[in-house]
Amino acid sequence: MKRIKWKNLANSVLPVFFALLIGAVIMLAMGHNPLNAYRIMFERPLFTLRGLTNTLHIAGPLLLAGLAIAVTFRSNLYNMGVEGQLIFGGFLAGLAGAYLHIPNPFLHKFVCLVVGIIAGMMFVLIPAILRAFLRVDEMVVTLTLNYVMMTVLEYLSSGPFRNQGAGYVSTNTIDKTAMFNRIGKTRLTPFFIIAFLVFLLFFFMHKRMVFGYRGEAVGKNPEFAEATGLRVRRHIVQVMIISGALAGLAGAGHMMSHEFNYTLSFSGTPGIGWDGMLISLLGGHSPAGVLIAAVFYSALKTGSDNINMYTGIPKEIVAIIQGLIVLFLSIRFINDRFGLTKRWRNKRNMKGTVHGTFE
Amino acid sequence: MPSGTASFPPGVDMETILSTKALTKKFGGFTANDQIFLTVHEGQIKAIVGENGAGKTTLMNMLYGELQPTSGEIFLRGEKVEFSSPRDAITKGIGMVHQHFMLVPSMTVYENIVLGAEIPGEHLKFLIDRKEEKRRCQSLTEKYGYDLDLNEKISELSIGEQQKVEILKMLYRDVDILILDEPTSVLTPQEVDEFLKQLVDLKAKGKTIILISHKLREIMGVSDEITVIKRGKTIGNVKTEETSEPALAQMMVGRKVLLTVQNQYKPTDNKRVMLQVKNLQTNDRLGKLAVDHVSFTIHSGEVFGIVGVDGNGQTELVKILSGMMEATGGTVEYNGQEITNCLSDQLRKSGIGIIPEDRYGEGLCQEMSLCQNAIAGAVTSKPFSRHAVFNRKQINEYCQHLIDAYQIHIADFNGNVSQLSGGNAQKLIVAREMEGEPRLLIACQPTRGVDIGAIEFIHRQIIDFRDRGGAVLLVSSELNEILSLSDRIGVMYKGKIIGEVDPRTTTETEIGLLMAGMVPDLENGIRSI
Repeated sequence: MKRIKWKNLANSVLPVFFALLIGAVIMLAMGHNPLNAYRIMFERPLFTLRGLTNTLHIAGPLLLAGLAIAVTFRSNLYNMGVEGQLIFGGFLAGLAGAYLHIPNPFLHKFVCLVVGIIAGMMFVLIPAILRAFLRVDEMVVTLTLNYVMMTVLEYLSSGPFRNQGAGYVSTNTIDKTAMFNRIGKTRLTPFFIIAFLVFLLFFFMHKRMVFGYRGEAVGKNPEFAEATGLRVRRHIVQVMIISGALAGLAGAGHMMSHEFNYTLSFSGTPGIGWDGMLISLLGGHSPAGVLIAAVFYSALKTGSDNINMYTGIPKEIVAIIQGLIVLFLSIRFINDRFGLTKRWRNKRNMKGTVHGTFE
Repeated sequence: MPSGTASFPPGVDMETILSTKALTKKFGGFTANDQIFLTVHEGQIKAIVGENGAGKTTLMNMLYGELQPTSGEIFLRGEKVEFSSPRDAITKGIGMVHQHFMLVPSMTVYENIVLGAEIPGEHLKFLIDRKEEKRRCQSLTEKYGYDLDLNEKISELSIGEQQKVEILKMLYRDVDILILDEPTSVLTPQEVDEFLKQLVDLKAKGKTIILISHKLREIMGVSDEITVIKRGKTIGNVKTEETSEPALAQMMVGRKVLLTVQNQYKPTDNKRVMLQVKNLQTNDRLGKLAVDHVSFTIHSGEVFGIVGVDGNGQTELVKILSGMMEATGGTVEYNGQEITNCLSDQLRKSGIGIIPEDRYGEGLCQEMSLCQNAIAGAVTSKPFSRHAVFNRKQINEYCQHLIDAYQIHIADFNGNVSQLSGGNAQKLIVAREMEGEPRLLIACQPTRGVDIGAIEFIHRQIIDFRDRGGAVLLVSSELNEILSLSDRIGVMYKGKIIGEVDPRTTTETEIGLLMAGMVPDLENGIRSI
C-alpha cells in the first residue's frame, strides 16, 4: 500500500524534475544561471501576495478542467473533449451574460454559470451515450468533437454573434452584473472560491461517497463492478456528464472572471482543457493531487512573464519545460492505458516465476 | 498406476523420443507439477489430459523452455537436455503452439511464418529475400496440404486458419515434436474436425505430437496414448485403445474422496420451489449454442449440484443466472417471480447470493481494500451508507466481523485483497455472500484451487446454509464435491443437462458415463449422444 503511494508520487514528481533538469541544461548552455532563473520563476508567483493571488486566479479554471479529466480517468474512461466542452460552456455563458439583462447580479451570475454547466453536459452526452450503449471508443469521439466545436464557435463568434464594434473577432462583452469582481486589490475573484468549493465537494465524493467507490471499482475491475450489482452503463454516462459539467463550469468561470467576451483565443494556447489533462496526469488523477498540480502549473504559466522581465532568458523556456513535462508524463500515460512497464515486467517474470494462473 | 513404464508388445516397440524424470515445478509454496514422469514415443500422438489448473500447461512450458523446472530432468532421445528459452527448444526440434495465438495481425501469412528467421538477400544481406521466403512457405504448405493464401493478412483469417499459420511457423523451423496447448478450445465444431484430420496427417508425415486437452472425445479420436494429470501429478498412463471416455473421466476427476462433509439430508415436508429454470438457452461468443434448453428446479433446503467436464456450458449457465450474460431463450423464476435477464443488483436485492467462478474477475477486486470488497454489492444499503455517504466506522466493524467469524487470515486490515491467499480470498467472498442472508445461493467452483482447510470450511458453510432452509445451486467439476454436498445432481454435457441422478444411489461410474455424454439405456445398454 505504502509502496504504491510512493510510486504514484514518483510518477508525478519525476517528470517535473526531469523537465526542470533539462530546462536547466538548456539555460546553462545559453550562459544563464538556471538556479537564479528558477528562483525568479517560482518566487513571485508562489511567495508574494500579489503573485500568489494571481496564480490562484489562473488556477481556478485549470483546477476544474483537471478534475473534469481526473473523474473520467479514475473510471478508466477518457474524456479528451474537455477543451471543447469548456469553450462551449464559456461561449454560451458569455451569450447569457451579454444578452440576458438580469439586474440582480447574483441571479445573473447564477444563470450564466448554470448555462455553462448545461452546455458542457449536453455536449458530452453524445460520446457518453455512444460509449455506454454502442461501445464506441469515447477517446476518439471526444477528441475529434473538440475540433467540431472550435469550428462551430469560430463561425458563431465571427458571424451571428460578432460584436460589430470590435476590431477583431469577438462576441459582445458580458454585462457588469455577470462579471466576477476582484477581491480587494488582488486579481482573485469569487469564482476561485466557487472552484475551490467544487474541489472540496469532489474530494468528499471521492473519499467518502458511493460515487467514489463506484468509480474506483469500474476503473480497477469493471467485471467485478458489474458482478456486484453496479450498473456500469449508467455509471459511464454519469461520470461523463459530471466531467462535462465541470468543464462547462470551468469555461463559464473563465468567461466571467477573466475574458468577459468570447474571442478566438478564449482558452489560450494550448487551451485550458488540454492543460487540464496535463494537470490531471501530474496529480495522479487524485483530487488533492489535481489541486497541487493546478497551482503548480498556474505558477509556471504566470512565472513565464517574470523570467522574461527579470532575466535575459526568453520566456519560451517555460514552453519548453511544459513540453518536456508532457513528454515525460506521456511515458506514464502509456503505462496507464496500455500497461507498458507491466508488460515488460511480466515478460521478465515469465523466465522462472509466474506464468499464467493456477487456480 | 506408475507412468513412464508403459510397455509395448514386442515387435511394436517404438523409440522413446522425449521423457521426463521426476519433473517438478514450484511457484512459491504452490507445487504446480509434482514429480512428473512422462514418456513420449516417436511418431505418436500423445494426449495429456486433466482438469483446468491440473498443471498441464506448466509441464508443457517446461518442455518448451519457457519455464525452468525446480527439480527433475528432461531427456530428448535419451540425452539429458536443459532449455533456457523456447529458442533452445526449437533448435532441438521441439515446437509449441499456445492456446492464445502469437501472430502479428497486420502482417501477411508468410511474413508471420518466417518472422524471426527471415532469409537475408543473396547480395545485399540487410535486405529480406521475400521471393525465397514465399517459395519455401509455398513448398511447406504444399507438403502438408494446407490451403492458405500466403499473401493474405493474418487479420483477414479465421481462427482456424490462424491456427494453421501457428503450426506452419513451427514446421518451418523443422521441429520433430509439436506441442499443442488446448488447440480446439477456440475452434468451431467444423474447424475441430478439420484440425483433427490435420493432426493425423502430421503424424503420418513422421511428426510426434503432444496434445493437451480436456475434451475427451477429441482425444479418444486421434491419440495413441494418454497421460492423465491431476493436481500436478501423473495419475495414469494408458493406451487409447485400452481405455474409454468414462474411464478417463473418472481418472480425471479422481475416485478418491478427499474429504467428506457430514451431510445428513433431511427431507422437509414444506418444500418450496425457490428457483425454476425452464428451457434456458444462450450462445457463446462464437455464436455456438452454449446452454441448450436447460431446465431444473431447486427447492428450499436443498442443494442441487451440476457436474460436468469443464466447458460444457456450466460457466455460461451460471453467468446467465448471476446477471452477467443474457439468455436468448427460456425463463428463470425465483421464488415465484420471473427474473430472466435481471441485472446483478436486482438479483442481489431479491435475495440471491453469488459465489462466482472467476474469483479475481467477478468475485473480488484485488486492488481494492478488504473493507471495500466486503461491502461490494451492498454499498448503497444501510448501515454502510446513508444518502450515498459511507459510514466508515460501521464498514470497518462489519469487515472485522467477517474476518473473525469466517476465520479469514489477513496480514494488513487496511491493505488490499491481493494480500490474501486463494483460500482466504474465497472465504471473503463466501463471508460476504452469506452475510447478505440470501435465500438462494449460486456457487460456481467454490473450492477450486483452494487449500484443504478452506475447502472443508466452505463445504460446512454451504451445508449449514442448506440446513437453515436455503436453496443452493452448486456447480463444480469436482465429482467429490458434488457427491458429498448435493441432494440432487444434474450432469451437464454439451450445454444440456443430460441426466439427473440421486447421490445416495448413484455410482461414480454412472456419473462418469454421463459426463462423457453416455446415457445409460435400460434396453440397449449404453447409448452415446
